[in-house]
Amino acid sequence: MTSVPVHSAPPPGQAVPAAPAGQPRDRRGSPLPTGAMISATLMELRRRRGLMVALVLMAIGLPGLFEGIRLLLHAFAPRTNPPAGGDMIFAVLVAGFLPTFAFIAAATAGCTAGSRDLTEGVFRHLVITGRSRLALYLARIPAGLAIVGTVVAIGYALVCAVSIFAAPSFVDDSNANVPPGLSEAGFEHWAATRARTVICDLPYSGRVPPDVACPAGPISSLTPAQTAPPALDALAVRIARQDYSGYRGIFLRPPATLMLTAGIWIELEAAVGFVLGLGLASLLGQRTGPVILLIMSQLILDPILIAAKIPALEPVRRWFFGLALARLEPAALPMARGLPGVSGGIGGPGSGQSLLPESPALAACVIAAWLTAWTILGAWRMMTRDA
Amino acid sequence: MKGRHAAAYRRPSDVKPAPPPAALGSEWAVETRGLTKRFRSTTAVNDVELLVPRGSAFGYLGPNGAGKTTLIRLLLGLTRADAGTMSLLGYPVPRQRDLALARVGAIVDEPRFHRHLTGRQNLRLLSAAREPAALDRIGPVLDRTGMTDRADDRVADYSMGMRQRLGVAACLLADPWLLILDEPMNGLDPAGIAGMRDIILSLVAEGRTVVLSSHLLDEVERTCDAVAIVERGTIIRQGPISELLAGAAVTLRVECSEPDRARDLLASAGLGASAQAVPAPPGLEITLPAGPGGELIAEVNRILIAGGISVYRLQSVQASLESWFLHVTGRQEDPR
Repeated sequence: MTSVPVHSAPPPGQAVPAAPAGQPRDRRGSPLPTGAMISATLMELRRRRGLMVALVLMAIGLPGLFEGIRLLLHAFAPRTNPPAGGDMIFAVLVAGFLPTFAFIAAATAGCTAGSRDLTEGVFRHLVITGRSRLALYLARIPAGLAIVGTVVAIGYALVCAVSIFAAPSFVDDSNANVPPGLSEAGFEHWAATRARTVICDLPYSGRVPPDVACPAGPISSLTPAQTAPPALDALAVRIARQDYSGYRGIFLRPPATLMLTAGIWIELEAAVGFVLGLGLASLLGQRTGPVILLIMSQLILDPILIAAKIPALEPVRRWFFGLALARLEPAALPMARGLPGVSGGIGGPGSGQSLLPESPALAACVIAAWLTAWTILGAWRMMTRDA
Repeated sequence: MKGRHAAAYRRPSDVKPAPPPAALGSEWAVETRGLTKRFRSTTAVNDVELLVPRGSAFGYLGPNGAGKTTLIRLLLGLTRADAGTMSLLGYPVPRQRDLALARVGAIVDEPRFHRHLTGRQNLRLLSAAREPAALDRIGPVLDRTGMTDRADDRVADYSMGMRQRLGVAACLLADPWLLILDEPMNGLDPAGIAGMRDIILSLVAEGRTVVLSSHLLDEVERTCDAVAIVERGTIIRQGPISELLAGAAVTLRVECSEPDRARDLLASAGLGASAQAVPAPPGLEITLPAGPGGELIAEVNRILIAGGISVYRLQSVQASLESWFLHVTGRQEDPR
């Protein structure tokens, strides 16, 4: 056995210094956590196998599974299954699934970080070190955000990668073989050179001359002979003009600015979920209840408040964090709070913002207020709790 | 070592008022004045005046529910006192709690750790909350507590004894001058108890102060210099064990012929006023009052011989800490 170095324990009658001679005094009364505390807390959270599995499953596994299935289906049956990537799929995933699962995953991590020291009896050991309880609380925030932010970023990067690299390069639906990346004029020119194909295979809501017959059989059997070619070309151009926005949506890769802003927004969702979970779990001293409350707020309360047009609920709508987060969603994305299909589900780009009462600045203030309030509440409970 | 703080002790009721804050130069590792903690109608700690000399092994004894753990929790700032003052290593608590706890290691109730982490990782987590040098102590403290071989196993796989040793290792991360150990022998096998005793004695030999709360009175007697007895939240006795036991009754075992007649002889000789004799075949057991008993023992011998009783053996038995504890806490009838 070796012995712990003894720094000459002072004899009775002599003051005990707080730190051994020659070493700087540690400022353990400071409310600010040290790097070592943050790093150790990160290590403690990272080694929770159950938590990490849940985080990876929700933030990476589910979007990965969705994309994987789409990639496989498209690979094996490209005619009946559209490509996995592209702007539209990106919008569906980013506006619908990712923020919801990122929030739930982060809230679970926050509730774990906020309660486990207490329930596992380690909080007492930490308090006995003399370290400020506030510092012990605050150390969990950067540590937890580092984990949650990384996992969410990986899941989001996966979605972005699939959206970019698996975006459709051509459309061969109904043998149209439409090339990608055409401007509107280019698309019309391409249509004019393939009038029969365009008239018979691309969607058109206008009136098609009755003497143009498009049998269900192969294109070689098409017999639009009665109509003069210039009239057919003009019709094809009209169809192309009408379909251009759809064409662009099918082929478009998500713009870099949208991916960046959406990524920041999803990380914000995760950060809010973590901080609220941490504060709530610290306040209540348990994990399960707070997790359930936050999931309910995300999946039930948010959509109800968005859809509700009840005047009495207006103050709640104005000051509820879920709606404030929705308000900060990039305008190019369709609004979706809760899962698609839930009330308030995916609509057109920017459609949601009109449903929300706040300005973006007020929404940011609401979110900041929620984060501050729950951090104060959680820290207060941690500082006053009997250990 | 035993008795070396005898002069520093007085009975709690004789303690003079608290000295001025000077206290930084105090000779007490732990000092409380009028410390009180109530839980609704229950007073768990009642006007406690505790004095633990620096550099001693101090036993803190009391029956279940006497308020031992509550007092420890108060000292460590785990809960708040309703009245009174206290200091650790000369630092007033809670005002300078961070300075005091910088050199205090403690186990309260039982040592608990994150079960999903290894012993070493748990120590890393705790050392991160201490000064930077604590990180460098992880290896030595694991070695000292005999945990090096299992340091990289998950705590979930540890036995109770291993968790106790890891708890002591966690205390040593502070390079503490005061260790407060609540029932550190719990769950240990005999070898583990001996190992823990060795650790505690070696810490005291290094000049550290160890406050030991335990139900194992035999272990406390073997390990500690001084004790305090707490009953219903109040300290009823404190001081060096040797002095406390010197004030306890002494049992005189007498092996003799005709025990019944011997008892009558002693009673008729008037010894019954200061001693009580009961038959304990093959002789008598006489409880003598506290204090120097040599003359009284000789007097017993003379009476018996003069009465024609054959005395085969006289043995004076000093009260054990356990019997004294049971006596002063009222768990045992006063034999006098």
